[in-house]
Amino acid sequence: MADPQLRHDDTPSSDLARAGSWKLVFPVLRLVAVFMLTLAGAVLAIQLLLWASPGDPVDLVPNGEEIRAQLEAEWGLDRSLPERYVQFLGRALRGDLGSSLTYRPGATVTELILPAAGRSLRLLIPALLLSMGLGLGLGLLTAGRSSVVRRLAQVVSVAPVFLLAFVAVHLLNELAFYGMEAGWFGRPGWFALPDTDSAMKSSLAILVLAVGSGALAEVHAAVEDEVVRLRNATFVDAAVARGAPVWKHVLWNLLPPLATIAYGRAAFFVGGLVIVEKVLHLNGAGSMLWQACRLRDYPVALGITVLAAAAVCGARLLGDLVRISVDPRLREVAQ
Amino acid sequence: MKLTAWLGLILLMIVGLIGVVTGLLPDGWLPYDIVADVSPSDAGAAPSAAHWLGTDHLGRDVAWRLVLATRAFVGPGLLACLLASVIGVGAGAVSGFLGGPIAALVRYLSTVTASIPRFVLVLLAIAINGNSTWLIGAVAGVAYSPAVAEAVFSRIDSLQRADFVLAARAHGLGPFRILGYHLLWVNCRRMVGRHALNLFGYLLLLETTLSYIGGFGVMEPQPSWGNMLAFEFGYRTDNIWGVWAPALAIWVTIFCCGLVSDALAERRRG
Repeated sequence: MADPQLRHDDTPSSDLARAGSWKLVFPVLRLVAVFMLTLAGAVLAIQLLLWASPGDPVDLVPNGEEIRAQLEAEWGLDRSLPERYVQFLGRALRGDLGSSLTYRPGATVTELILPAAGRSLRLLIPALLLSMGLGLGLGLLTAGRSSVVRRLAQVVSVAPVFLLAFVAVHLLNELAFYGMEAGWFGRPGWFALPDTDSAMKSSLAILVLAVGSGALAEVHAAVEDEVVRLRNATFVDAAVARGAPVWKHVLWNLLPPLATIAYGRAAFFVGGLVIVEKVLHLNGAGSMLWQACRLRDYPVALGITVLAAAAVCGARLLGDLVRISVDPRLREVAQ
Repeated sequence: MKLTAWLGLILLMIVGLIGVVTGLLPDGWLPYDIVADVSPSDAGAAPSAAHWLGTDHLGRDVAWRLVLATRAFVGPGLLACLLASVIGVGAGAVSGFLGGPIAALVRYLSTVTASIPRFVLVLLAIAINGNSTWLIGAVAGVAYSPAVAEAVFSRIDSLQRADFVLAARAHGLGPFRILGYHLLWVNCRRMVGRHALNLFGYLLLLETTLSYIGGFGVMEPQPSWGNMLAFEFGYRTDNIWGVWAPALAIWVTIFCCGLVSDALAERRRG
């Protein structure tokens, strides 16, 4: 960044191929700064919510009154809001989110939520990719035709995640029931209801998340519109005229809108994840959040909320990076 | 608007009206008592003249519970729409009018609130402050308002130098009349209406989801479309409506919100 070359390279006559990588530095730094600012704002919003709420968290601890001074010092309740915020942020940066009130005594929040978040990511990322892939495939298939598929994707996509999960579990269990009665198979290992983790349940969760939470219809509609627009674009005509493969151009141009939708929907996916994990009894950060909220285990609930906000901001950062690396025009706007 | 959108609007109005009326009537005035209506002898009965949609596995009338469940989300939903529209339009108009740092602040707030999943935020709020559907509505409304504000701001900002604004100014109209009528009422009301409808659908989704999972939201014996579904799940009775009526009600209502919202979308010019 400190390289004086940068200023000279900014002239239109410079070697674009070499300047390209340099021109990415500023927008990327800017995006990272936006990421950090947004995350800091999200943490502030959560702290404000806590601060504005009536009630005293010390009351939640059984022997809270005896160790009130110690607890208040640990949670920063004896300080003003700005001090508390800075303290929370500073500790969070060092990976210290306090210790849980309800899980093993003395267990730190980080060591509790990180493994759970890992298990959740294994559902979240495939679901996000699957919904993008499904929407892309369907959109490419049906683009330009007035389609029943678009309407159908809409009908399925508006259904609440829990309802989709409910219907899926219902149908699966019915199927298993009739299959067993008819003697097609013995008792299968994939009844969706019992509280054990199974591959069937995880894939069901991924499918429900991918189809629900509105993303599928949005991607499908965006892809259809974009493909129609691209078909009329002159550069596609040029590619056709030169005999170059068109699909490459089309896919490359579809990436920025897909990235926009992916990060726009990331928050819905995280919210949906909490629901799916709870409804299908999966063991991840989502069900841990629900449990922590039920038991009023604030440190764990706060930690997971901050982590969720970080995940959404991270998705936004990634999406923006994809967009500016694909579309040079966005780089100039970003500067 | 298309016929389907009109149908959706009528359905939404009916649901809203039922929700408002049952919400405003005191409990004793209704010819149905939620707590007293338990009769195991006709549990899981099929639809009949006495029970239009049959009964659930405790023998409670499904149709009545379906009707009464509307008050769990209609009031809070309207509250959320009101909060989001008032705060959102207010902040959007002020930032569009003044521009500069205030507009940047509104955009920043919108990005920040979009980065915390709303479901998680609502969950956290009711865990801290106690469980109430009104609180769910209020938090969802406030959390949604920056999105409305940003939409209003960018619309006003893009129209500020439009010819009709210049013409209005040349006619000697004051800034408040231009902002209030020409910009907000003429150019933003459909957009705000769409946001409000989406938010209403989202609130129905929130309330039924929380009630379905249980522990938050509406609890037994008070009915909600969500907890009716959860309550009947796993019981094999003759009455399929005990499960599918609330499920269909949720699905259809949210779909209607989307239909009407789509119909409100302005057609692109050119």
